[in-house]
Amino acid sequence: MSATLTEAHPSTVTPEMEKAQRAMIDESTRLPVVLFYASAVFWLLVGTVFALLASFKMNAPTFLDQWGWLTFGRVRPAHLNAVAYGWAASAGIGTGLWLMARLCRTPLRHSKLLIGAAVFWNIGILLGILGILAGDGRSIEWLEFPNYASFMLFVAFGLIAVWAIIMFRFRQPGHVYVSQWYLLAAFLWFPWLYSTANLLLNFQPIQGGAQGAVNWWYGHNALGLWFTPLGLATAYYLIPKVLGRPIHSYYLSILGFWSLALFYSWNGMHHLIGGPFPAWLISASVVASVMMFIPVITTAINHHMTVRGNFQALKWSPTLRFTVFGAMCYTLASLQGIFMAVPSLNVVTHFTHYTVGHAHLGLYAFFTMIMFGAMYYILPRVVGWEWPSVRLIRWHFWLVAIGIGMMVVVLTLGGILQGLALLDPNITFMASLDYTKPWLFLRSISGVLLTAGHIVFAVSFTLLLLKAGSLRTEPTLFGSDQGRQPEPLNV
Amino acid sequence: MTTIVYILLAAGLVFFGGTTLAAFYWAAKTGQFRNLEDGSKSIFDEDEPVGTATDAFADKQADRPLRRGAVAN
Ligand code: HEM
Repeated sequence: MSATLTEAHPSTVTPEMEKAQRAMIDESTRLPVVLFYASAVFWLLVGTVFALLASFKMNAPTFLDQWGWLTFGRVRPAHLNAVAYGWAASAGIGTGLWLMARLCRTPLRHSKLLIGAAVFWNIGILLGILGILAGDGRSIEWLEFPNYASFMLFVAFGLIAVWAIIMFRFRQPGHVYVSQWYLLAAFLWFPWLYSTANLLLNFQPIQGGAQGAVNWWYGHNALGLWFTPLGLATAYYLIPKVLGRPIHSYYLSILGFWSLALFYSWNGMHHLIGGPFPAWLISASVVASVMMFIPVITTAINHHMTVRGNFQALKWSPTLRFTVFGAMCYTLASLQGIFMAVPSLNVVTHFTHYTVGHAHLGLYAFFTMIMFGAMYYILPRVVGWEWPSVRLIRWHFWLVAIGIGMMVVVLTLGGILQGLALLDPNITFMASLDYTKPWLFLRSISGVLLTAGHIVFAVSFTLLLLKAGSLRTEPTLFGSDQGRQPEPLNV
Repeated sequence: MTTIVYILLAAGLVFFGGTTLAAFYWAAKTGQFRNLEDGSKSIFDEDEPVGTATDAFADKQADRPLRRGAVAN
């Protein structure tokens, strides 16, 4: 049925047919997208609870330490895995599925593959987190899940990759939009990265320092070749689409994709600066980190110039507000990262809360905010129901925007003080920890703001799925509750 | 077992490196890097053309009124 449009003579294709086709494509993605999104929101809440616990323990180390499974060493990896795989990756997959269907201009086929993937995925994460709490976790950052859990995730990634190939194979003819390149990169490379790292670290462990190198080859690729492309694919689609304005320089966006593919995979070793590794290994990685300036700046220029002249649209479009916030933080996080990869600066920031600030600027302020934006755009389209409350969206935005802003600032400042104290031979290690205390307290407060934001979002999400309220024919825009019309756009 | 792992690793490198290069070559050959102006517009269509803000959602019933951001060209 999808073929009808292209078979028809171009002049007979009416806007109504295109609208019907788009609606059909959106609807075809409903079950898998809602499954992954609902899992994402569930794991976001779980991950947030672990986050609060871990953060409170930094202020009061004895808090809840009478149970082994709630000690910091388990709660902290439980937090990371719940938010990275449970929330961020699930949200990214849900968004990626919908984008694939739209960009292939064909209804989603073989949804059984994806439903199977979602089942493996959630069982894997559940087992993984229970395993970590039970003391089964591995001491390998980003790969803490025990083998029985990581295997489940691998099956899920594999199914999604197969599905992506089939979708691409049966796409409607035409240009391959830049977002699609990013999506294919993420969906096809990640199962390989994940399985290779698990093979070399957990199933057939290599020995000695090389473990660290494999660990961070994987860790950075998870960020650079999985989360980053999923986030950028979304931004490259949603920003032009919401504004009705093609991307400023399409040439730069293509250059950005291929230079990212070329340089990011070399970046991992910058996590090991100062470690027991050959100098060339670290140097090559530092050079590649600096080369990341090319993809980062092309993306920054492009997103900025596309929105330029239309920043007032952030006032009315929830999607755009979250997405543009995220896109700006992508630039910030990456530029910051480039500086952190310079050895003379890394010597201060490494082993401090500064790195944690950067991690949240990347995975939260950039990736998570873009995913919130995507959900605001995609869910009404696939479910056929508008977001029930503008007020909830507004609360969500301000709670998480202020929360994450505050978290990044306090961790950055506290981290610098901590790093300088650690380098000062006259300051004992215990004394260096004292410098972090007030900042960690403020960090817990920012965490409470984020928690409140997540609860608001979860309520809004549930109400939408339950189709609460009355059927609306208008989009939920900021300001529309006061009956204001959005202001005109410059195109 | 170790040998199998090494073979798998080498095969993975060749396969994924190779397919990436092949993708790049395919893109160049099929003109994906030409007509970039049109490429950037490929996400728009007659119903959601350039110049129309879309924070409204498409619906099966074509006659349902959609409010979109008014556009000044
Ligand atoms: C050009 C871009 C980037 C560069 C050069 C870069 C550089 C770095 C460096 C050098 C570190 C290690 C800090 C240390 O341990 O001393 C780091 C950590 C981290 N970065 Fe980035 N970064 C970039 C972009 C991003 C983005 C876009 C994200 C999120 C999607 C991100 C997420 C993280 C996370 C989560 C960590 C902490 C890893 C850990 O120790 O668990 N980075 N980055």
